[in-house]
Amino acid sequence: MKTRRGTPRIVAGGVALGLTLALTACGDDGGSGSGENEFTVLVYGDATNKVEKKLVEEFNKTSEVKARLDTIPGAEYQQKLQTIISTPQAPDVFFHWGGGSIKPFVDADLLLPLDDFIKKEPGLKDNFLPSVFDASVVDGKAYGVPMRGTQPVMLFHNEKVLDEAGVQPPETWDDLLDAVEKLKDSGVTPIALGGGDQWPTQMWFQYLYDRIAGPELFQKALSGDTEAWESEDSRKALGMIRELVDTGAFGKTYDSVKFTNNGSPQLVASGKAGFELMGSWYYSTQQSLDEKFAAEDLGYSAFPTVEGGKGDPENLVGNTNNYYSVMKKAEHPEAIAEFLKLMYSDTFVKDQLGIGNLPTTTNTPDFLDEAASPEYSKFQYGLVEKAPHFQLSWDQAYPQSAATDLHKAIQQFFNGGLDEDGFISAMQALPTS
Amino acid sequence: MTIQKTRVRPAAPPVKRRRTPTTNVADVGRPGFIWAAPATLFFGAFAIVPLIMVVVLSFMSWDGIGDPEFTGFDNWRRVFDDPVMIKSIWLSLLLTALGVLLQTPLSIMLGVWAAGNQKNRAVLSAVYFVPLLLSATAVSVVWRALLDPNFGVPAEATWLFGDGNLFGEQATAIGVLAFVSTWQFTPFHTLIYQGAARAIPQVLYQAAEIDGAGRYRQFFHVTLPQLRNAIMTSMILMVVGGLTTFETVLILTQGGPGTDTTISAYYMYEEAFKSFDYGAGATVALVLVLAATAISLIMVRLSGYDKMRSTTEGL
Amino acid sequence: MRRRPNYLAGAGSLIWLFLIGLPLYVMVTATLKTQSDFVQGGPLGLPTDITFDNFTGAFDTGFGRYFLNTLLVTVCVVGIVLLLVPPLSYSIVRSRGRVTTGVFRLFLLGLAIPLQAVIIPMFYLISEAGLYDNLIGVILPTAAFALPVSTLILSGTMRDISRELFEAMAMDGATPRRMFFQLVLPLSRGGLATIVVFSALQAWNGFLFPLVLTQSEESKVITLGLYNFQTERGIDAPGLLAAVLLSMIPVLLVYLFARRALVRGLMGVGGK
Repeated sequence: MKTRRGTPRIVAGGVALGLTLALTACGDDGGSGSGENEFTVLVYGDATNKVEKKLVEEFNKTSEVKARLDTIPGAEYQQKLQTIISTPQAPDVFFHWGGGSIKPFVDADLLLPLDDFIKKEPGLKDNFLPSVFDASVVDGKAYGVPMRGTQPVMLFHNEKVLDEAGVQPPETWDDLLDAVEKLKDSGVTPIALGGGDQWPTQMWFQYLYDRIAGPELFQKALSGDTEAWESEDSRKALGMIRELVDTGAFGKTYDSVKFTNNGSPQLVASGKAGFELMGSWYYSTQQSLDEKFAAEDLGYSAFPTVEGGKGDPENLVGNTNNYYSVMKKAEHPEAIAEFLKLMYSDTFVKDQLGIGNLPTTTNTPDFLDEAASPEYSKFQYGLVEKAPHFQLSWDQAYPQSAATDLHKAIQQFFNGGLDEDGFISAMQALPTS
Repeated sequence: MTIQKTRVRPAAPPVKRRRTPTTNVADVGRPGFIWAAPATLFFGAFAIVPLIMVVVLSFMSWDGIGDPEFTGFDNWRRVFDDPVMIKSIWLSLLLTALGVLLQTPLSIMLGVWAAGNQKNRAVLSAVYFVPLLLSATAVSVVWRALLDPNFGVPAEATWLFGDGNLFGEQATAIGVLAFVSTWQFTPFHTLIYQGAARAIPQVLYQAAEIDGAGRYRQFFHVTLPQLRNAIMTSMILMVVGGLTTFETVLILTQGGPGTDTTISAYYMYEEAFKSFDYGAGATVALVLVLAATAISLIMVRLSGYDKMRSTTEGL
Repeated sequence: MRRRPNYLAGAGSLIWLFLIGLPLYVMVTATLKTQSDFVQGGPLGLPTDITFDNFTGAFDTGFGRYFLNTLLVTVCVVGIVLLLVPPLSYSIVRSRGRVTTGVFRLFLLGLAIPLQAVIIPMFYLISEAGLYDNLIGVILPTAAFALPVSTLILSGTMRDISRELFEAMAMDGATPRRMFFQLVLPLSRGGLATIVVFSALQAWNGFLFPLVLTQSEESKVITLGLYNFQTERGIDAPGLLAAVLLSMIPVLLVYLFARRALVRGLMGVGGK
């Protein structure tokens, strides 16, 4: 038995070594808590990150206090953010969609009002379009500086596929129904939809409700008057969605397809589908997926008009903008203010345009010609400029706690799991604020 | 239990002794509680304390941002009024039952077969066990890619899959979940049966043969009864595993279409980390713990595990 | 003694072989295809021109880092389990106090605690301790949840140690410590191997704790890397499957070189 005495020693030695190694190794890569002379910037992980990375590098070249960029994959951004926001590991600066999405954080007194920053550097406010800047004002105080760009939802298409089916980008709802029939006949899925993500499905609701009832219906519902969901206009919109889905416009497998994993863009790029309704970031998504397609065959148009609708046909839905907000606990507010000033710098605006985003700074029009696709950026700019109303995405307008149920109701009505009344009562049950 | 007890590891000599009168010698050199303390404290801190906190949290309302508030039985009432929750319990049970029904016969068959001495057995069983090497995450990711309706196998094999919309309907989505779990876990259970089947004394088969029993009678009258313990062990593991399935649902169906595959373990995650209703999440979690404990206790009793303990522990 | 081959079971195992083999075939061929090749040619076709970009691509997205992190987590978890479980099992088997019986019950109960159940408070505890998004914060709970099964396995092994051996050592006046190191540990090597394999697999394949308790690239483990790959670029099946294949390699190596210990270990998990 004596010969075996070595075993436990070796085991114990190995364990001790392992633990020491682990603790020293883990000890210094301490997660997202900021280091001494550092602040963390948390953004939504997607194709735009390359611009943000570049910006942070630029900033760190000259600044004493360094910025550190963290990303969370898009599909999980909102939920991770809310999970960590009140923990010591919360970031110093973070990305959001304005409006309802930061209201709970403001209520919990987590955010730093930016009014002092603006007093010192009025450019932080004056260099942005007022309507955009105001969408991140809560209770009269500014909490966000616009970053990235405005993201209206548009109807994208594959020009080749449309040509083959003899289809023009639709101007009216009836055109769209026509196009759907023709595309079906030519053997492709008429409209790609990343139903697995749920929020892309929501875009169809947002536009149809706006076109038919105008923005007022949703505003009413959001402010607590849930009877709006039972109105005739609401039922009409639902009926039209039902009709579109039932004609097979989206094929059958849409709930197994996702936008976030490039599933639905791939369908359009590879010619398996004709249209896709998506936010303006679609251009950079396609660009990173298939550069040639984005440059040559990617077409776009505004959402079709609906005859007899009360909403202005030039209304838009989507993300008014994205914003950076600053946490109260941030230790380097001065450095952060410097960082935020870059959001209207010429290079930043040019870089954003370069990947198809449309910043809402006052200097944006100067650089439209330098965009990746000047035509695309100008088209988008035109839409935003003319739009009488820009409806923020429903799931961003509602408090975050409503998002899951909202998404589910939308998905289930779409795929037939809920009928009209079921959908209406699900929407009425959502917490409004 | 009249049959001789079979164990997976045949190497150990049967330890069966009766309690002997205590002597001084037997009491010398017994370790004190101090030997158990570090592990107990560690386990207490990272499992028992959180478990107690879950209980407390299930009586509170908390969104992770503000301060938690006591709300009494509010969460419990809400959770049991919630049709999605009730549905999720049934779905959990259904998936667990499907898992047991699919995996048990399959792994008994494979295990008994692999315990035999066919020539190609070694090579084949090496392939069989590949799923063991993959994490649940990897398995789900692979099958999600393979079964993608537009870019996966269903798009090519339309004669088999029709429109390929496997994830779009409840029945097929549940089928996929059950199939993927079976694919992943059958090899493991096969191993259990393989070990147990090898330990069956050949004499029993010889005796059965003399009695004129054919292959199938031998299987049902010798093999199966001899596998009793293995069947119990493997079923307990399947039940606990089935109730706590999480990655598979998250990656393959995300609880959809709608809430049609939202099983309780996934529902808890959604309530807590998507809707930020930590109180409701904790309540669902507790329901899971209670169910898992109840089922394991029942099965432990049935399998006679505690008896086994008492026969060997009587030192 | 067996006369003729068992046709029914043989046929069944062939079908099973197909079900195992098909995904493996798709996985291996897909990793050698370009993405457009995969989309155009379908998952079942052979690659038209072979590429290894998918593997290099996986490393570019940080899989090297994920590997090291996962390895670190696994080593630490196994370390903690080896440090805590043998003394615990020893005292469960040998001690006669009521307290240890209670401890054993506690760990038996622990078997029934699904790890999902405690994830909410775990998140709270870990983030209060400042360990959120830190691998230590993943290691500690993972190790804790590997304890019950390991304890069950190892105390099973230790129970089989003959009582005469203990008595003989007791006659010699051996202390509990000496018995532990000279008798118990050497005779439970089989059980120790089993708990190493078991806890290593649990740590290597762990998902929920890393999912909820980490966030940044620096502390990502493989399973989470796969999940993110799937959520972000899931449609890039060749790249995704290449990452899966890479994640298998270490376990595959263990399987090839220590197949018996692994298989016995896994049998042990179920069998005891």
